[in-house]
Amino acid sequence: MSDPYALIDWHEVVAGTELPELVIDVTASVIVAGAIATRDFMPVHHDREYAIAQGSSDIFMNILSDAGFCGRYLTDWAGYEARVTKLAIRLGVPVFPGAVLTYRGRVTAVARDGDTGRIEVAFDASTELGEHLSGTATLDVPVAG
Amino acid sequence: MTAPDPFQDLVGRPVGRDAPSVAPDPVNQPMIRHWTVAFEDRNPVYTDPEVAAGSRFGGIVAPPFMLQAWTMPTPTISGLRERGGAPVAGDGESLISVLDDAGYIATLATGSEYEIVRYVRLGELLSSRTVLESISAEKSTRVGTGRFVTWLTTYRDASGEVVGRQRFSILKFKPGGAIR
Repeated sequence: MSDPYALIDWHEVVAGTELPELVIDVTASVIVAGAIATRDFMPVHHDREYAIAQGSSDIFMNILSDAGFCGRYLTDWAGYEARVTKLAIRLGVPVFPGAVLTYRGRVTAVARDGDTGRIEVAFDASTELGEHLSGTATLDVPVAG
Repeated sequence: MTAPDPFQDLVGRPVGRDAPSVAPDPVNQPMIRHWTVAFEDRNPVYTDPEVAAGSRFGGIVAPPFMLQAWTMPTPTISGLRERGGAPVAGDGESLISVLDDAGYIATLATGSEYEIVRYVRLGELLSSRTVLESISAEKSTRVGTGRFVTWLTTYRDASGEVVGRQRFSILKFKPGGAIR
């Protein structure tokens, strides 16, 4: 069986190459685990009563968790030798327990500097409520030949 | 003539005390593992010493976006609700205290941008320094009236070299609308 984290072949990547979708079944456990693992103790991410008092309908995912999932989304595709050098995300609708969060993206530019390849990606993550985030990222990968 | 916005005086100033904020713990495997579990990120360079040693990284590295987490202030759980979610009691002089006192007591993150200069390794003690980059005029939003605030944080290693930068944007607001 092939290694799921094998390095992507830079030579095969072109502008327009689509990344595989990442689908996250968001439960309260996902939201709370992410908040605490990112050391973010804001109650809106783990205390339902507090979140409702602030005007929300439930606890919601924190932005540090978004960065965690973005990192995973990128290296799940590019492999463990990939190095993420830039990430920019803008938030839209919140992610509540029960949401199905789907990441979709594509390569927007490819470049090479000696034995380092650079790949730029644009992506978004949406739930049934709408777009949760849109973003861009840059990775560098070793290139041979 | 409209009165000058007092918050604009804070632009460019450090957030909190004017000193780097040192991470409470060095980069460590248990916290990395905790992160990888939360996001089901099985990238082996974060947790498999053998694979990591054979990779371009030469050893275990922390997921790049843990940079913010390493220097998050250690919270006091008692009184968390009463402080409106602030990890520790404010000293009344920080930007957040100033915004809270003006009634902008609720927070919503709106964006985050990272530049990763290099990945960090086990045992590294990181520090961060944050300055206020911008604060908007008061805006009326779906969730209430508030101000958009952007901070610029520089993360450094123990020798003072920059390992990453982050631009973090939030809305500080007076609750009154609905986060839908």
